[in-house]
Amino acid sequence: MKVDLTPILESKRTFRRRAAARPLAEKLRMLDALRERTLAIRRSTNPGPAKKDVTHQEYDTGNWKK
Amino acid sequence: MGIKEVIETINRMQADGVIERYAIGGAVGATFYLEPVATLDVDVFIEFHTEAGSRLVSLQPIFKYLCDRGCTAEGEHIVIAGWPIQFLPAGSALVQEALAKAIEKDVEGTPARVFTAEHLAAIALETGRAKDKARVLQFIEADAIDLDRLQEILTRHGLAGAWQQFERQFLK
Repeated sequence: MKVDLTPILESKRTFRRRAAARPLAEKLRMLDALRERTLAIRRSTNPGPAKKDVTHQEYDTGNWKK
Repeated sequence: MGIKEVIETINRMQADGVIERYAIGGAVGATFYLEPVATLDVDVFIEFHTEAGSRLVSLQPIFKYLCDRGCTAEGEHIVIAGWPIQFLPAGSALVQEALAKAIEKDVEGTPARVFTAEHLAAIALETGRAKDKARVLQFIEADAIDLDRLQEILTRHGLAGAWQQFERQFLK
């Protein structure tokens, strides 16, 4: 089966353009939500790690798993 | 809690004289021009005033100010409104220029100083990690930077070679 990626890529570009054009405050709220989601995924894929927020330093050194 | 509260806190620090000029960089800075991308912390670039004869910079006054107001220190970060914040000195001529030319954006009535898109791209190119190069590409694909202005910045700061390499790798 052949899939024409052109409309898919164009759709992605359109989505990104729309997201970029959102009001600043809305985009910053999206960052808040994205961070929460990223942390939730990391916690769920590594059972029992940090109950507090994770910083880069903790993540890079693996200390957040302790 | 959120980034807007972080910006309000930093503005208050500036008004209280704890910091002078500041500008938001990194992924959060890029979000002012591009679509939001997940990031774990906020990079805030500031001018540090070193004591005479010292080359060391101290974050202690900043950490003390924020800890006195209920923030917590976590390693090199300090957590404001749930976000780990990294205060970074303008350590290179490029970042010093970026800080001087940062622009003010309005976030629902709250002023936020942010690097220009061209300086964000130049700093990303200078930093040179994979995710930084991806950010430069994002700026170009989104048509969010003035390429002539970027070229001027890159030439001024000895990054023309890095740009040529980037062009060969990703744009040709």
